[in-house]
Amino acid sequence: MKLLTRTSLSYSLISLVVFVVSSLMFFHLLNGIFKRQIDENLYEEKLLIEQTINFSDSVPDFRLIFGHMIDVTILNAPQKRTGYIRDTLMYDNDLGTFASFRHLFAENTSFRKKGYTINIYKPLMDSEKLITEIVVSLALVFITLLLLLVLVNYFITRRIWIPFYRTLHILSKYEINQSAPIALAETDIHEFKLLNQVLEKMSMKIRLDYSNLKEFNENAAHELQTPLAIIKSKLELLIQKENLDENQLHLVSAIFEATTRMSKLNQGLLLISKIENNQFHQNEKVNLPLLIDSTLEHFSEMIGHRKITVSKEYQYPVMLDMNPSLGEILITNLVSNAIRHNVTNGRINIRVQEGSLTIANTGQIMKTNPHELFQRFRKSENNPGSVGLGLSIVQKIANACHMKVEYLHVDGWHTLIISFS
Amino acid sequence: MKILLIEDEKELSFSISEYLQKENYLCESVLNYETAIEKINLYHYDCIIVDINLPDGSGLNLIRALKENKSETGIIIISAKNSLDDKITGLEIGADDYLTKPFHLPELNARIKSIIRRRSFGGVNEIVFNEIRILPDQMEVNVNGSTLTLTKKEYDLLVFFLSNRDRVLNREAIAEHLWGDEMDMADSFDFIYTHIKNLRKKIIEKGGEDYIKTIYGMGYKFTGQ
Repeated sequence: MKLLTRTSLSYSLISLVVFVVSSLMFFHLLNGIFKRQIDENLYEEKLLIEQTINFSDSVPDFRLIFGHMIDVTILNAPQKRTGYIRDTLMYDNDLGTFASFRHLFAENTSFRKKGYTINIYKPLMDSEKLITEIVVSLALVFITLLLLLVLVNYFITRRIWIPFYRTLHILSKYEINQSAPIALAETDIHEFKLLNQVLEKMSMKIRLDYSNLKEFNENAAHELQTPLAIIKSKLELLIQKENLDENQLHLVSAIFEATTRMSKLNQGLLLISKIENNQFHQNEKVNLPLLIDSTLEHFSEMIGHRKITVSKEYQYPVMLDMNPSLGEILITNLVSNAIRHNVTNGRINIRVQEGSLTIANTGQIMKTNPHELFQRFRKSENNPGSVGLGLSIVQKIANACHMKVEYLHVDGWHTLIISFS
Repeated sequence: MKILLIEDEKELSFSISEYLQKENYLCESVLNYETAIEKINLYHYDCIIVDINLPDGSGLNLIRALKENKSETGIIIISAKNSLDDKITGLEIGADDYLTKPFHLPELNARIKSIIRRRSFGGVNEIVFNEIRILPDQMEVNVNGSTLTLTKKEYDLLVFFLSNRDRVLNREAIAEHLWGDEMDMADSFDFIYTHIKNLRKKIIEKGGEDYIKTIYGMGYKFTGQ
């Protein structure tokens, strides 16, 4: 639920409760005031009637004086002083229906020692009507106010939250490896200012850590090259010694191979960090079919040796706008991957279309999870000698050049699809 | 032949000097930019091997200084940075070759020889070893006077061998020389074996001797002894 909806809803709900409770209270209050007013009137009338009775035993027609139902009865015997006021329902002749009345009953003895009873009925109709009218009109005012409040709140909130949504939008678009620092829009609301400040600080810190890490990776890989070069050169001098026996040569050979592997690994990692650090930025037009052909030529011995049949299908003279070195590395990795994981007498199908390059090869069923295929150091058990960076490099290059890599396994074919726009 | 090696990493510098000294080169090594510039200004070298990243300056500036003096010295850059920009800049300002660390010493040796050969004025650009004679400009090989028909790889292999006579060449150095460093497959050793077999056969067919010795578990050695 959106914050705005939630607040608007809460506002409306609370307002409704407040409105109902307050109108009820208001109604009761008004009712009380009116009743008190009526009761006071009734007492006054009663007082007047009593005074009249006290001074003369005759009973004038009070109805004519006060205009509502008054019933005064003079009794012969003296009466005890009692009385009450209450609401009552009576048949109203004027209206022809039952209506509520305020009924005052009093019983007493006059100065002339004669008892009397007084019944005064005052219709509540008018006051009820008045109360209802007042309450209704007040309710109308209240509801209008409420609606206005909710509406105003809605619009104000919507306006107020604009910087927040802007920040959110910028954050969602933000990538850690982009070169520019995060730039959040200005706002004059303190909380959002604070939020932006914190976010900017945080992203700065993350960026710094990230670039330090990247720098470390590159430096570490770079610094390893020199000792590796020294080891290699020393080994090369060592094997020139005349007095080495076969066993010793084997040992040296194993060290050689391990060193070479390490150096390859290192170069691969260095390449990946260079791609990540956007050090390949100069783009040129790369003729994809031409590049593939020259790569296949480069690997022709390998292909011939494994008796692999390569079929090519170039549907379009596709030109890619990318760094030529990266293009070369990409195609080399893809082709060598297709050869390396192939079988003897296998096949490779290469299809270049507008927008995509598909390289499919026959090969043994992969035990690796396809999702892990592009991770570093993910290598097949069939080829323990590889360093396991090939496809990871492919992925990095694709990311750097805004391409998409996809792996499919269809009918025994390992298929890699590179899509570019 | 006088060679100047400018490399700040002592051990690597020792290795290179030791390897090159066997070729009867006079190899001087310096560890920094300042000494290098002094040497360049004082003496003439047939070839300099220069590291780009020196503690007190850029090897690229050394190359620029050499070229300002209209020097005919051959220049090989060795750099730990496998950076295309450096490579392009280096070659543009007049370097003859570029090697990325770690490299194989036989590879460096072969490149030096190739540069020196190309620069030997007056003389004919050729490699001669007993009955074998190579004319690199024509990519032609003669054994006992008759021309050998070699594939590109076989030719490269023979030149590489002849540049590193009496040296044990391990298979990886050969593989990298023939296919570059993208060829990280175990199969390449099989190819080397095949190419060497064919090369041997072709040389023997023309009455040449079999100079290629197999060093078991390690590689090969081209030797007349």
